Amino acid sequence: MTTTQHPPAAPASRRATPLSWIRAGGLSKLLFALPMILVFAIFSWTPIVRSVVMSFQKTNLLTPAEWVGLDNFQAVLNDPLLGTAVLNTLYFAALALVMGFPVPILMAVLMSEVKRGKGVYSALAYLPVVVPPVVAVLLWKVFYDGSPDGVFNTILGWFGIGPQPWLQSTSMAMPSLVIEATWAAAGGSIIIYLAALLSVPPELYDAAEVDGASIWRKAWHVTLPQLRGVIFVMLILQILATAQVFLEPFLFTGGGPANSTVTVLLLIYRYAFQNSLGGNYGMATALSVMLAGFLAVLSWVYFRLTNRWSTS
Amino acid sequence: MMSISRRTAAAGVTLAAGAMLLTACSSGEGGEAASSSDAGGSKVELRVATFPPGADAAAYEAFATQEAQFEEANPDIDVIGVEYEWTGPTFAVQLAGGSLPDVFTVPFTDSKTLLENGQLMDVTDEIEELGYTDSFNPVILDGVTGADGHIYGFPRQAYAMGLHYNRDLFEQAGLDPDDPPATWDEVREAANAITEATGKAGYAQMAINNTGGWQLTAQTVSRGGRTQSDDGDGTYTSTIANEGTKATLQFLHDVRWEDDSFGYKVDLDWGTINQEFAAGNIGMYTSGSDVYTALVRDFGMDPAQYGLTVMPLEGDDPGTLGGGDIAVVSPTVDDATKAAAVKWIDWYYMQKLMDEDAAVADASALAAADQAVGTPVLPVLSRELYEQSQEWIADYINVPLDQMAPFTDRIWDQTPVGEPKGKTQEIYALLDPVVQTVLTDKDADIDALLAQADADAQALLDQ
Amino acid sequence: MSADTAAPAPVSAATMPSSPAAASSVPERRRARRKPSLTDSERGIVSDADRRQPRVRRAMTGVHIFLSVTLVLAGLGPLLWLAKAAVTPTQDTLRQPFALWPNGIDWANLSTAWSDIHIDQYFFNTIVIAAGAWAFQLVVATTGAYTLSVLRPRYARVLNSLVLATLFIPSVVLLVPLYLTIVDPPLLGRDHSLLNNYLAVWLPMAANAFNILLVKRFFDNLPREVIEAAQTDGAGPFRLFWSIILPMSRPILGVVSVFAIIAAWKDFLWPLLVLPDPAVQPLSVRLPAVQSQTELDVFLAALAIATIIPIAMFLIFQRVFLRSAGLGGAVKG
Repeated sequence: MTTTQHPPAAPASRRATPLSWIRAGGLSKLLFALPMILVFAIFSWTPIVRSVVMSFQKTNLLTPAEWVGLDNFQAVLNDPLLGTAVLNTLYFAALALVMGFPVPILMAVLMSEVKRGKGVYSALAYLPVVVPPVVAVLLWKVFYDGSPDGVFNTILGWFGIGPQPWLQSTSMAMPSLVIEATWAAAGGSIIIYLAALLSVPPELYDAAEVDGASIWRKAWHVTLPQLRGVIFVMLILQILATAQVFLEPFLFTGGGPANSTVTVLLLIYRYAFQNSLGGNYGMATALSVMLAGFLAVLSWVYFRLTNRWSTS
Repeated sequence: MMSISRRTAAAGVTLAAGAMLLTACSSGEGGEAASSSDAGGSKVELRVATFPPGADAAAYEAFATQEAQFEEANPDIDVIGVEYEWTGPTFAVQLAGGSLPDVFTVPFTDSKTLLENGQLMDVTDEIEELGYTDSFNPVILDGVTGADGHIYGFPRQAYAMGLHYNRDLFEQAGLDPDDPPATWDEVREAANAITEATGKAGYAQMAINNTGGWQLTAQTVSRGGRTQSDDGDGTYTSTIANEGTKATLQFLHDVRWEDDSFGYKVDLDWGTINQEFAAGNIGMYTSGSDVYTALVRDFGMDPAQYGLTVMPLEGDDPGTLGGGDIAVVSPTVDDATKAAAVKWIDWYYMQKLMDEDAAVADASALAAADQAVGTPVLPVLSRELYEQSQEWIADYINVPLDQMAPFTDRIWDQTPVGEPKGKTQEIYALLDPVVQTVLTDKDADIDALLAQADADAQALLDQ
Repeated sequence: MSADTAAPAPVSAATMPSSPAAASSVPERRRARRKPSLTDSERGIVSDADRRQPRVRRAMTGVHIFLSVTLVLAGLGPLLWLAKAAVTPTQDTLRQPFALWPNGIDWANLSTAWSDIHIDQYFFNTIVIAAGAWAFQLVVATTGAYTLSVLRPRYARVLNSLVLATLFIPSVVLLVPLYLTIVDPPLLGRDHSLLNNYLAVWLPMAANAFNILLVKRFFDNLPREVIEAAQTDGAGPFRLFWSIILPMSRPILGVVSVFAIIAAWKDFLWPLLVLPDPAVQPLSVRLPAVQSQTELDVFLAALAIATIIPIAMFLIFQRVFLRSAGLGGAVKG
C-alpha cells in the first residue's frame, strides 16, 4: 500500500460551531450517511408511520382524508371474508409445515453424508429457487391442467390414478398451491441446513462412537440436537413467510374457487387495489397493521433468539 | 407500435438520469407530465387509449393510419396511443396514480360511481357545441348525466348479451349450426351432444374476476329475474334470491354435474374464456355481442367457426342484459388538452356513428388492416342511424354476417335491460364465489347460497 | 412465498458471518470464511469405520440413487419439460405432454415470443430494473454501513437502531403507504408522481436494512489497525472508503449483489403496482398479463426465455449463490 504524506487533519475544536463541525469531518460523515437517511426516511420510516395513521382514516386520494377512529378495524373485523382468509392462511401455513418442513432437513442430512456429488446435488436442489417465482407459478399452472392430458394427470395416469381437478376444486386448490410453494422454496432451506450440518463439531460424533453409538443413535442424539437452533429459526421464518403468502393464490387461483384460497394478504390487496373504482386504503392498512403486529412479535422473538445464538 | 418504442426510449433516458442522481426523480415522466402541452404551446400531446394488451400488429397499424389522418386534420395535436384495458386492479391503480391516458373508455356500470366521485371531466358544453346532445338514445345518455344535469362522457358503444357458439363443434356433434338453441333446455341438450361427440366442453361460463357475477346476472335477466330493484330514491334493494337466479344456478349445476358437459375449467374470465373458445375448446358461452372483434384480433379465432345467436329467453318479463362503454376525459387535464381530447373523441369514436364519410373512412382503415368491421352492437344513437351506417359501410363489412344472423335477426325483439346500478362491481364480486361453489360442489345448497349472497349484497347496498 | 414488495424481509442475524471476538488479522479471517464451504466437510454422522461395513455401503448407494433420482426429477425435471415445451407446438403439448416432438420441433415459438409479444423489450426492462436496484442497494448499503461502522458520527447509535427496527416491520405494512408515497412523492407532489419511473422500484429496494446489517458486520470485523494506519497516513473519509474499505470488502459485496439482483428479478407485486404502463414493465409483471392472449406454445417459450438468465447466472456464479444462500438464504424473496 502506498502511503501518501498528507498533513494530519486539524485537531477538532472544542467549541461546536458549524465551522468546527465541518473541520472535524462532520460534513463528510453526514454525506456518507445521507443516502441511507434519505432512502429510509422516505421509503421506510415515513410509510410505516403513515400506515398506522391511515388505518384510522378514510381516504380515496382525491378528497382530503378524514379521521374515522376505529371504523376501519371494525369494518375489517365485520368482513365475512376475514375469517375465511385467516383460516385459509393458517391452512396454508399448516400444510406447508407438514409437507415442506421435514423434507429439506432429511435431504440435507442425506446430502451431507455422501462423499461425492455433493456439489451437483446442491446445485440441483437449488435450481428451483433460481427460477423466477412468477415463471414457476405460471409453469405449474400448466402442470396442474385439469384435463386428462394435463401434465400431472398424465403422470397419475401411468399409475392408474384418474385425472384430478387440482386448482379447479375447492378441496385440492390449497394443497396444490402448497406443493408448488414447497418445490420453489425447499432448495434454499436445504442449503441452509447443509451449512448448519457442516458446523456440527466432528468431536461429538467421535465421542458418540467411543460410546458405541449406531448411525441412527448418532443422527438422533447428536445431529438433531445440534440442528435444533437452526430448525427453530427456519420454523419462525417459514411462519413469517407463509403468513404473508400472496403470489401463489394471486396467480394460481385469484383466491378461488369459491374463496377457498383467499389469504390475508390477498384480502389486503383486494381492499386496496381490486375495486375498479378506487381502493379502500383505510381497511387495507387496518388489516396490514393487525397482521404486522402479529408478525412483528414473531420477528422479535426470532431476532432475540438468533442474536443470542450468534453471540454465544 | 411507434408509441411503444417512444416510451421505451423515455424509460431509457430516465434510467440514465436516475443512475446519476436522486434529483432526477423530479423529472419523472408521470402521466400528467407527458400530457400537458409543452412550454412553446406549439403542439398538444394527447395520450389516448388504444387496445388491451395482446392486440396484434395489424390493429396498431390500423390505429397508426387513423392517428395520421387525425394529426393531419389537427396539426396542433400530437396523438400518443397508450395500451389500455379496463380491469379492476390496473384501472384503480392508474386512476389513483393519475397515469390514465387523457382519453379512455369506462363501462356503463362504473360511470355513475366515477361521476359521483368527481373522477370524470364535465363535457356538457362540448357535447352541446358538437350539437348531438339530442341524438343520443336518452336511456343511455342518462347513465352519463350527473345529479347536476351535466354530461360527463360520450356513450360510444353498446352491446347486448348473446350466446356465442362454435360452428365446427356443432357440426361434429350433428347439430345444425344455422339453427342454434333457442331455449336454455336446448342449450343444455346441445352442450351434452357436443361433449359426447367431441370430448370438449359443451358449455362454459365465466366465473372469476367479477365476470361470474356479471354472467349470473345476465342469465338471471334472460329467465325473467332481476338481482336488484331501484327504489327510485338513490337506494337499492337486493333481490338476488329470485327464481331466475335460482334457475340459472340449477342449470349450471345440471350441466356440470348431471351431464358433465361443462368441461373442467371453473376459473375462466372474460379473457381466458375467449382464449378457450377461440382455440376450439368450448361449444357455447355467453358474453357481449361485440366480442367477435376481440376474438379475432386478440385471440386468433378462425372466423369460419364463429356463430352468434340471441340469449334464450324464458319466464315472466325476460330481457337481455346490455352494457357498453363511454369515452371520457381524465379529470386532471388542462384546457388545451381537454379541447384536443374532445376533438379526438368526436373524430375517433363518434363521427363514424353519424357521418357517412367518417364511417366509410373508419371502416376502410380497419378493413385495410384486416380488422373486424360490422360486428353486431347496439346503437348508442338511434336504431335508424345505426342501420343507416351499416349500409354506408356495407362494402367493407368483413365479419361473417350470415353466421351472426340468428342474433341480428332477433335482437330487436328482445327487451334491453341495463345492469344493476347499486354497487355493481362489488356485488358481481360477491356473486363470483356463488357461481364457483355450484361448479365445484356437487351438493351445493343453492337456496342457502342465494340467501347468504342476498344478505351480503344488501349489507353492501346499505353502507 | 413472501409479499413481493421491495421492502426488507425479516432476516436472520444468525446467518451473518460470525464475529470473531477480537479483531483478527486478515489471513485468519480468510480461513474462517472459507470454512463453511459446502463441499469439504470433515466428517458427518457416518464414520469411515461405518462405511467399511457392506450394509452401510449398500445403504449409501441407496442414498445416492435416491438423491439423484429425486433431485433430478424435482430440480431439473420441470425445467427440462419447459425447455422441451418451448419448442413444441401447442397441440402436442396439450395432447401428449411427455412425447418428444411427435410432430416436429417448432423453433418459431421462441422468435414469436421474442418479437411478437415483445419479450425482448420486457427482458430489457427487467435487466434495467435489476441493474438499477443493484447499483442503488450497493451505494446505500456500503455508505450506510461505512457511516455506522467506521465513521460513527454521534447520531450513529440512533440511526443504527432506526435502521435495525425496520427489520421487525413486515413488508406488508408498507404496501399501501409506500404506494401512496410513489403516487404522491413528498416535496414533489402528485404532478411528479413516480409511477412508471424505475426510481419507484430502485429506491424502496435500497431501503434494505438487511443489506446494511450484513455489510456493517463485515466492516466491523475489518482489522482496525489497517484503518487506523490509513487515517494516520492522512487518508480522508472518502479515500479510506474508496481505496481501503471497499477493496477489502469484495466477498460481502458479491453476496449483497446476488441478493439485490435476485430480489429485483423476482419482484412481482411491487412493479405491478408502480409500473402500470406495459412499456416499462418487467417480465414478471408482463408474463401473467399476456397469458390469456398468447397461445400456449408461445407462452411457454416466453417462460423459458425468462428463466434462462437467472439459470445461467446461477450456473456461472454457483459458489457465490450457494454461499449467499447458506449465509442469508433465509431471505425469502
